[in-house]
Amino acid sequence: MIETLGYIFAYFVFPGILFASAVGLLFMGIDRKITGHMQHRIGPPIWQEFLDVGKLFCKEDVTPAAANSFVFNFVPLLSFGALIAVVLFLPINSAQPVLTSVADLIVIIYLLNIPAVCMMLAGYASGCPFGTTGSSRYVVQLFGYELAFIIAALAVVAKAGWSLSLSSIVTYQAQNGWMAFQVALIPAAIAILIAAQGKLLRVPFDIPEAESEIVHGPLTEYSGPKLAILRIAYDIELFVATAVIVVLFFGGPVPHTIGGVYIPGVVGFLIKCFGIVVLSTLIRNIAARLRIDQALKFFWTFPTLLAAISLFLVMVV
Amino acid sequence: MTFIIPIGPQHPALEEPTHFRIEVKGEEIVGVDLRLGYVHRGIEKALTERPYAHGFYLSQRVCGICNATHSLAFTRAVESVAGVECPDRARYIRVIDAELERIHSHLLWAGIAAHEIGFTTLFMLLWRDREHALDMRELLFGNRIYATGTYLGGARVDIEQKHIPQLTRALAELEKSTKHYIDVCTSDRTIIARCTGVGVLTKKDARELCAVGPTARASGVDFDIRRDDPYAAYDEILFDVVTERDGDVLAKVVVRLREILESIEIIRQAIDAMPKGPIRAKFPENVPENEAVGRVEAPRGELMYYVRSNGTNKPERVRIRTPSYANWPSVRPMLVGGTIAEIPIVVASIDPCFSCTDRVTIVDAKTGKSRIETKEELRRLRK
Repeated sequence: MIETLGYIFAYFVFPGILFASAVGLLFMGIDRKITGHMQHRIGPPIWQEFLDVGKLFCKEDVTPAAANSFVFNFVPLLSFGALIAVVLFLPINSAQPVLTSVADLIVIIYLLNIPAVCMMLAGYASGCPFGTTGSSRYVVQLFGYELAFIIAALAVVAKAGWSLSLSSIVTYQAQNGWMAFQVALIPAAIAILIAAQGKLLRVPFDIPEAESEIVHGPLTEYSGPKLAILRIAYDIELFVATAVIVVLFFGGPVPHTIGGVYIPGVVGFLIKCFGIVVLSTLIRNIAARLRIDQALKFFWTFPTLLAAISLFLVMVV
Repeated sequence: MTFIIPIGPQHPALEEPTHFRIEVKGEEIVGVDLRLGYVHRGIEKALTERPYAHGFYLSQRVCGICNATHSLAFTRAVESVAGVECPDRARYIRVIDAELERIHSHLLWAGIAAHEIGFTTLFMLLWRDREHALDMRELLFGNRIYATGTYLGGARVDIEQKHIPQLTRALAELEKSTKHYIDVCTSDRTIIARCTGVGVLTKKDARELCAVGPTARASGVDFDIRRDDPYAAYDEILFDVVTERDGDVLAKVVVRLREILESIEIIRQAIDAMPKGPIRAKFPENVPENEAVGRVEAPRGELMYYVRSNGTNKPERVRIRTPSYANWPSVRPMLVGGTIAEIPIVVASIDPCFSCTDRVTIVDAKTGKSRIETKEELRRLRK
């Protein structure tokens, strides 16, 4: 009974829907504020994302007749659910996540791809040329960044003694220092940061939803509550993608005691995630959007090569 | 299999409504069709129903960005029709007016181009610095956008001595930031990746399709009305006609940014060389029967006004040939063979101004086909 209640709490409150959404929306708000300042604007207040999503929930749900299908309507919830599941697999407060399986990392990599696949399906199902073009671009981009992402993650797995369990990776880092500071893994850390930029569809890799070319890509036909859920899902993805990087490379959650006050691991964890979000915001404000062929070429050369070098160094040296 | 991607009439990449039918095969563009006519306003007809003094104001309203050059072209045509000679000081005021407009227009365009390739930060910063040029227009001519220094027979307002230091300061700021942006655009790797080799217009195509202005100059066509058919005080000012050889989007960016530097130099020379004296000659109410063409170099290229008078205070016919209209045919060779991702930046690279270009298109509502009305059919309609 207590265990069941614990799972329900974990799913709905911490670190599930409530916590993850709040953190994701807040990160996005800060991202928009920093962007504003970098662009010599005042920018919106940091809670703007909450207001935007709230407004979308209150709006009428308009679905074009051509798009009205099970896939189109179901995709927002599927994508949202997959991301919440990832959150439950991540060691956010302590080395021990809420859910564990034999091979956490593989499950997470699968689950992290579900939102991307959802977006593609949504684009193809939306019956709109912008959505179709966005989806086909997304497919190409997925093959680009995913290769670098997986090889970089694999390098960490190899370093931690071929353990696919996130808690053992966190424990390994608690004893041996952050993975990002191991000489052999520095290239992989750079590679995964670039791959995350592609995963999160941020400039220079916002190609699938390039607004000046194809309006909003797969999301073009969405409006109202469905768009709100997709927005929350995207913001949670921002948090989750950075969280996976923090767990793999930056030590994960580490509790501290400063001046006799116990600070739980989640605080340090969020600060590290925030650092990566800020880095990603900086990159997205100092570059132009690449073309899809250029992006694919870039992903398969520079980050993939860096990740492969790391894997090679870890396995051989 | 090819399918049609509609760009417009409403599309985030377009500042004004127009409709492109882009035929694509996967990501590759194989055909382009353009349908104009969404913002046709009938200004040519309206100009013939107003006295010259009122038509002068209407001519400014043809374009929201290059209103000073439109009024200048109209004035140039009307002055030669009426045989009025403009005083010396006014000619320099016209130069300063036109060049300030060129600076703000080119910075506006560069910002839009940056937005099209997803570089929002550069877009915002370019528009921040464009404010210097707009502030100077407000200071000298009374309004940020819809204001001009030109008037029939001279200048509308005089440039006061106390405003010169402010103008010089703003020019120094603009020069500094423009040099920085040239540096950014030629060294940033993502900009280079998106702009080099994209939307190439060869020199041959540019000549054959009669491209004008920076679009032609970026392809190496050395042509500038300011030098080749000088008006206002341009024959007394030293400046270079900026050309690039590559003809791609990057060349068009660099040509425009370097033209800003030339414009700044032109304004500085005009301030120093400006003689004292009256700013306006008397313009007659009724203009004798005559016809004339007035050409000026607008920020987008050669702008042409044809005016025919009939002895009354209203022109009998006014014809406006805007630079965007001359540049439309060159969009097709620039787009075909490229990818969808290139459409916005390539279309933007000619700096199109839709509302000043628009002509009536007759579209059959049932079939969606557009057709051309012959002169005889139009005559029949009139009866």
